[in-house]
Amino acid sequence: MASAFLHVNDLGKSYGQVRAVDGISLEIPKGSIYGFLGPNGSGKTTTIRCIMNIILADRGEILFDGRPLDRQLLDRVGYLPEERGLYRKMKCAEQLAFLATLKSVPRKEAQRRAEAWLERLGLGEWKDRKVDALSKGMQQKVQFAATFLFEPDLVILDEPFSGLDPLNVETMRDVIREQNARGCTIILSTHMLAEAEKLCDSVCLIEGGRKVLDGTLEAVRTDFPLKSVRVAYAGGKEPPARLPGIAHRVFQDDSWRLTLESGASTDAVLDALRAAGQLTLFAANRPALDEIFLSVVRERRAAAGTEAAS
Amino acid sequence: MKMLAIIRREYLERVRTKGFVISTLLIPLLMALVMVLPMLTMQSVDTRNTVGLIDPSGEYFAHLDAALSSQEDLHVSLIPLPVAGGDVASATASMQDQIRDESLDGGVVIGDDFIGTPKATYYSRSVSGSIVRDDLQPALDRVLRQARFARVGVPDSLHAFLSERVDWESLSVGDTGEATRRDEGGVMLLAFTLIMMLYMMVLVYGQQTLTAVIEEKSSRVVEVLLSSVPSSQLMFGKVVGIGGAGLTQVAIWTAAIFVMAGQGLSVGGLSFDASYLTPMILGSFMVFFLLGFLLFSMMYAGVGALCNTIQEAQPFATPIMMFVIIPMMLMTLVLRAPGSPLATVLSLIPMFSPILMFMRVCLASPPLWQVVLSWVLMSATIWLMSRAAGKLFRVGILMSGSAPNWATLVRTLRQPD
Repeated sequence: MASAFLHVNDLGKSYGQVRAVDGISLEIPKGSIYGFLGPNGSGKTTTIRCIMNIILADRGEILFDGRPLDRQLLDRVGYLPEERGLYRKMKCAEQLAFLATLKSVPRKEAQRRAEAWLERLGLGEWKDRKVDALSKGMQQKVQFAATFLFEPDLVILDEPFSGLDPLNVETMRDVIREQNARGCTIILSTHMLAEAEKLCDSVCLIEGGRKVLDGTLEAVRTDFPLKSVRVAYAGGKEPPARLPGIAHRVFQDDSWRLTLESGASTDAVLDALRAAGQLTLFAANRPALDEIFLSVVRERRAAAGTEAAS
Repeated sequence: MKMLAIIRREYLERVRTKGFVISTLLIPLLMALVMVLPMLTMQSVDTRNTVGLIDPSGEYFAHLDAALSSQEDLHVSLIPLPVAGGDVASATASMQDQIRDESLDGGVVIGDDFIGTPKATYYSRSVSGSIVRDDLQPALDRVLRQARFARVGVPDSLHAFLSERVDWESLSVGDTGEATRRDEGGVMLLAFTLIMMLYMMVLVYGQQTLTAVIEEKSSRVVEVLLSSVPSSQLMFGKVVGIGGAGLTQVAIWTAAIFVMAGQGLSVGGLSFDASYLTPMILGSFMVFFLLGFLLFSMMYAGVGALCNTIQEAQPFATPIMMFVIIPMMLMTLVLRAPGSPLATVLSLIPMFSPILMFMRVCLASPPLWQVVLSWVLMSATIWLMSRAAGKLFRVGILMSGSAPNWATLVRTLRQPD
């Protein structure tokens, strides 16, 4: 990843005794949609706030395009905080224009773009209404527009889809893809892994303030040790109930899903299966992101538990 | 540029509200009322009080009446009361009846031998009728003196010569130009006007700054804002924007005062004479007002930055009010000796300067360097405050949960920027 756009190096932040972020390093490739994943309370928002320089990190280095974040760079970075906030008594268009001027967009231009964005998100009629009058979902769309209005080079979205209906999620996804196509690097922090899987090309999983794994989506999925295979026999024959290397079998969607014992060799399993009859299907069951997520988080928590116990 | 956008937003958001428009119009109306009411009561006092005189010898009424009528701004008209057969007691009793049924406002009884034993007793429904006493007492004194001079044979010309009083004029010496004549009453009125205006603005707009900062945090806009501007700029922009709205209001009110002053209105008998407004006083009025306002707003902004609710902010906001109240209590000290070292030191304390230094400017023309120094000190404090407020703001965002205390406040300020 030579063209990393954002480097985070050994970031640390504690609140009192709690280590919210404990030595996280990230490399976010230019032009990517980067999934920043982790369970609740794993340190995602704290990391993002440190990156945005809203809170001060205790240690670590953050570089944008090789430079530390300064006021000029700030104008190229958009941020959608997890806790949404708009001025409630301000009109939508005015609000968007105001937020854009804070990113150094000239006022006239900001006004023009504000109206264009509202139009595009289906809020054209609401431009002169106060934010108060809007529904939660509409407010979120306004805030979404505010994040992209000034055509940033990097956007950080913290849980962008929470509280949106599927239709609106679709709209937002389109916006994200389109902005990415324009050349905008996007960091998507979320615990909705299905969404991340649809959008991201690289991901990073953190837990307990530490990075657990990262890489391109493809690499993460390939590198993850295979946990199960799908098989089917000619004539609908059942696989043997007991086979070396297989912990568990279950019939699911026209085929058998066999959970492998940890450390089991796929070759050995395949040989044993072949011996039992004519296979019509043998496929590696590629783990979904949430499967990886769950397994990794559980493993780590169990390890932490035994560590604490010993 | 960004700060301008923040200032502009804060300003417009305030000026456009109904509350702003209403209070801007309402206050001059109330002021007019406050100014007109005392005038009306003054006029009722202006009608002369009828005071009866019981003078058994009958010698003094003419003298006293003459002495009274030589006085300016007279509130008393004297009438002689009959003393039938030298019976002072019954004459006094009937006079008291008249006072009781209000056909007389008051009565004075003097003895038969006023020159020998100069004693006068004043009767009225209210002992505090000072206007009557202030007229009568010197008149009686003069009558007594005249009579005694006459008794020992001093000629009238010598008496007039001896009774001549000093013609007193107060001049104050400034750094430049001629000594100027100052009417202490007028200067005091001006100083009090500033102090009251500052007090009111601090009270109203300081609180607004506090509320605005807290609201920004609770509405969570702040994270978006901080991803665009440094927190100290945000704080400064907010305070200036809210202050601008306040100044607009004050400007309108001041214009109203001048219009009313032009109509010859006065407060408590002190005329609002524009001639006291030397360029120095007028100019420093504006500077002190502006800096004072910024200073106090900034302190409120700092408190707001630290707290999550208005209730939490109250214990921190009260000490700020003390910075306005303390100089008001120290005012007499400065009034008595505007040039004393104590007054100098007190008036240089940034929080006190708007009131105390301005009073000194009005009263005594302190050395220019002292005035300028107080401005510099105030500006420096404002700058420091905006940085502190910004810092508190940034840290305060994530301090939801427990209410802040003085220990966290100190710890926060010590953190590196």
